[in-house]
Amino acid sequence: MTPDDTTLTLVANGAVDQLDFGILDRLAALVDVHDPVPAGLVDRIGMALTIEAMHAEVAELHLVGESALAVRKDEASIEAGTITFTTDVLTVMISVHPEGGRVRVDGWAAPAGVLQVELHQDADVSVTTSDEDGRFSFADVERGPARLVLRRPSDPTVPVVTPQVEL
Amino acid sequence: MSDDLVEPAEAALRDQGEGLADQAARAVVAYRAGDREPMAALVQVMTPLLWHTVRAQGADSELAQDIVQNVWLTLVRDIETIRDPHATLQWALVTAKRAAWRAVRRSREEAARSDSDENATQWLTTSADELPDAVAVRDERDQALWRHVAALPDRCRRLLGLVALVDRPDYSIVSQALGMPVGSIGPTRGRCLAKLRLALTSDPTWSLS
Repeated sequence: MTPDDTTLTLVANGAVDQLDFGILDRLAALVDVHDPVPAGLVDRIGMALTIEAMHAEVAELHLVGESALAVRKDEASIEAGTITFTTDVLTVMISVHPEGGRVRVDGWAAPAGVLQVELHQDADVSVTTSDEDGRFSFADVERGPARLVLRRPSDPTVPVVTPQVEL
Repeated sequence: MSDDLVEPAEAALRDQGEGLADQAARAVVAYRAGDREPMAALVQVMTPLLWHTVRAQGADSELAQDIVQNVWLTLVRDIETIRDPHATLQWALVTAKRAAWRAVRRSREEAARSDSDENATQWLTTSADELPDAVAVRDERDQALWRHVAALPDRCRRLLGLVALVDRPDYSIVSQALGMPVGSIGPTRGRCLAKLRLALTSDPTWSLS
């Protein structure tokens, strides 16, 4: 064993101390600066887990006319203007209108009836109820990825979840 | 926090507070009981570690995001099959690492040295002078730290880069999950951290504060 090796072994067998913590703290800061976790990743994972948790009872909606719309790479997320989703049990159409820096979302569900409609954006959930014609609206909505969760009175534990759309 | 989950050997570390492994164990137990809040909190604090674990395997940003999200989805899908909730952190790290390794190997075979090698983003393998200006290396002490880290063997660089992201109770779990029992850190420094410490303390341009 060379003297250097002896020193290294000695230091390696020493207990981690404040100086080591200090070194590792600075290193952590450099690693974060060099390659930060992408903005929004944690939120997208949170949303995916929320949907996953409902998944056993979810009827996925299918997008009508998918080819005409840009699907975002990072998730199945679509630039929304007017979009129609459909499942066996429900058809939902939404249209998105800019209002200042924000948007209003108008929607219509068929068959017509009163539904609970939730707008999920990251961790935020807005809730409204559709009228007897199946119409609903969300005003003053922040732009960004969102999805709708609709609950029918006939089957409230089986929500209908739309794919994520970009408002 | 009940003590029966803690190994006797780790008893000395207990006063260091709760580590990620403990938090992950609690989140799994709570999730099974129908409480999803602790899992949401765990996603916040554990995702950066998974991110850098995946990136250390050379996955590009888009691929890495998919892999990290999949690790979480797999965790909740298989949550009833986890026998020891305390092994969750280690499971997640190993899963992330393997998935990244497979995906990177696949994409390299597909790319077959066609165009640029941008996929092979090797964080922490960039030398100090190659760092883009945008990377705010604060001052010459950080320059020195980065330089000495860059001079370490590849495996040491990855180990230290990831261990740096967790607190003391999780050092040995991270080391083991990366398959580095020999260089492992905690409760002793291990050879990787010892090498870096010796290099820094003998460098007059570096000081901690």
